[in-house]
Amino acid sequence: MGKLISSILIANRGEIALRIIRACKELKIKSIALYSDEDLRSKHVKSADEAYYLGPPAPAKSYLNIDKIIEIAEISGAEAIHPGYGFLSENETFAGKCEEKGIIFIGPTSAAMALTGDKMKCKEIMTKTGVPTIPGSDDILEDVDKAVEVAEEAGYPVLLKSAFGGGGRGIRLADNEKNLREEFEMASAESRAAFGKSGLYVEKFLQGIRHIEFQLARDSSGNGRHIFERECSIQRRHQKLIEFSPSSVVDKKTRSKIGEMAVRAAESVDYLNAGTAEFLRDEKGNFYFIEINSRLQVEHPVTELVTGIDLVKLQIRIACGEDIPFQQSDLNLNGSAIECRINAEDPFHDFVPSVGLIPDCNLPYGPGVRVDTYLYPGCNVSGYYDSLVAKLITWGQDFNEARVRMSNALDEFIIEGVNTTIPLYRTIMNEKNFINGNISTDYLEKYEILKLMQTQIKESSLKTSDSSIAAALLYSEFLKGQNAVYNSSKELSLSDWVRAGNIKNGI
Amino acid sequence: MEFKINNLDNILSGSISESSVDGKIIATINGKEHSIRIIGLKNSILEFILDNSYRTAKIIEFGSSYIKMIMNGEQIVLKKHSKLTEILEKSLAIGGSSSGEIKLYSQIPGRVVSIMLKSGDQLKKGDPVIVLESMKMQVAVKAHKDGCIRDIKVKVGDTVSRNDVVALIE
Repeated sequence: MGKLISSILIANRGEIALRIIRACKELKIKSIALYSDEDLRSKHVKSADEAYYLGPPAPAKSYLNIDKIIEIAEISGAEAIHPGYGFLSENETFAGKCEEKGIIFIGPTSAAMALTGDKMKCKEIMTKTGVPTIPGSDDILEDVDKAVEVAEEAGYPVLLKSAFGGGGRGIRLADNEKNLREEFEMASAESRAAFGKSGLYVEKFLQGIRHIEFQLARDSSGNGRHIFERECSIQRRHQKLIEFSPSSVVDKKTRSKIGEMAVRAAESVDYLNAGTAEFLRDEKGNFYFIEINSRLQVEHPVTELVTGIDLVKLQIRIACGEDIPFQQSDLNLNGSAIECRINAEDPFHDFVPSVGLIPDCNLPYGPGVRVDTYLYPGCNVSGYYDSLVAKLITWGQDFNEARVRMSNALDEFIIEGVNTTIPLYRTIMNEKNFINGNISTDYLEKYEILKLMQTQIKESSLKTSDSSIAAALLYSEFLKGQNAVYNSSKELSLSDWVRAGNIKNGI
Repeated sequence: MEFKINNLDNILSGSISESSVDGKIIATINGKEHSIRIIGLKNSILEFILDNSYRTAKIIEFGSSYIKMIMNGEQIVLKKHSKLTEILEKSLAIGGSSSGEIKLYSQIPGRVVSIMLKSGDQLKKGDPVIVLESMKMQVAVKAHKDGCIRDIKVKVGDTVSRNDVVALIE
């Protein structure tokens, strides 16, 4: 193995910044963090070897500020930049600037990124390479009238997607023309906010489908590998909620067939480093290529747990010019892993964002449990950035063991101060269709999961009512005891009981 | 004492029936006797053993008519229930809230990215009035009733907190 670089600037925040810092520490590479005013007390600032100030909280002025980040990279002497996911991770201008300045960008080349980022062009290349794609529009729509025209041709319902997007941001479903016109404005605004540019296209919406993706890696010598699939069908409004590997509908033969197709797709755009080829699978078992995500995915830990490969360390080695240290045939799929994305959103009220101070939290532990998070008691969940506050990943010898471990870990996971999606995942982990693998991208609506969650939360409140009433009674008594002036009452107040208990327990 | 919990319809009850100096308490909850032993109370965190199982509750708020606590990560609101509060609530609901309230509140903190309507516009319940951005998501603040916009209280670029008044609807 060759000599690795000595420092990496992490152009990101939150749990992914921490994940990258950990990889740096393992490789004895200096980690350089960035922070906005909002992140002064964030965990990635505390964990990194160095931390540099970026600017005001708004992403455009901080984590999306290319000039400022490059300036800090030069001042700090960073040899490489890891962009994480989101923010600038798929921004070819940023990757290009790094190349210009001689800073290693840990990801694909700006040229490859320009191809994968332009979904229309990418689709065209795939068709030429013999990788099947979904039927749909093949132009960026500059105005709403053009969108309506294309939608009418393809037939409603249609998906409105951002050509520069990723991670499901800016994707909207439209059932009719009125709907499409409304959504067009919202979607282009959302796209601008997240990626700094608009540019939408329309695609026919397929029903009853699964979203299955393949992890990819390709080095500068042109060695390409696929590191198996992740099943990402549990989504809400095209945002992935739960991912797992292996998928129950991918057998060994399909795995190598689609995996090889994914490697071919990566070759056709001369891809470099880790990436993901996303596919949709219809009920007949046909796979359609949708896009290459030219970054480390949020759900990469799932693959790490079933293969034992540290993808971030692999990324760093590839970026330093090393070859991938394993052959395709060396890879083994070991057991099963599930990830739940814990978002600070209220699942009982249309998933509205929930922000603020976290007075206390309790992270789950135990066999096969991994938590990637920036949470700590006293930290803050900011409204300026993504709602993902933690990723809970469990491993088991089979799907069922991983699932039961997840269910228990979710029970242990306590986050005070904000609402999170934990109650939703508790419901899903014990829902029969999920257990039996009857899933598709419309799983939440099809099986009325939110309604089931509402019912279950009522049942659980009733079940724990004995405890909550007991607590209320004890506390009321305690206050009575505190407020009462020492009087003739012969009854001992609760404060005396507590005191008696404390003395006995030596507190 | 009678209680109502969260959105449950059931009326539940509980009272302390016996206590002794060594810290053992007998409470009657929902008609059944339970034994309780207190472990401690510190920084509003109450720890106790209920029928041989460990329990802990963090008391968040203690009002004259309700108690707000966190148990197992879930927020639980216990309302002290009585015939009188029920009657009061009903009469308040008729007289005050939904139909008569003219203020439209923002349900989340966020930045105003667009304003869909202006003073004098007619609207129906559920129509988006303004759009906020928080956590990279666009969230519409929707009209809580049919009516006519009397005033928009915010402008594009403003930052609003949760429960700020964003518009008046008559």
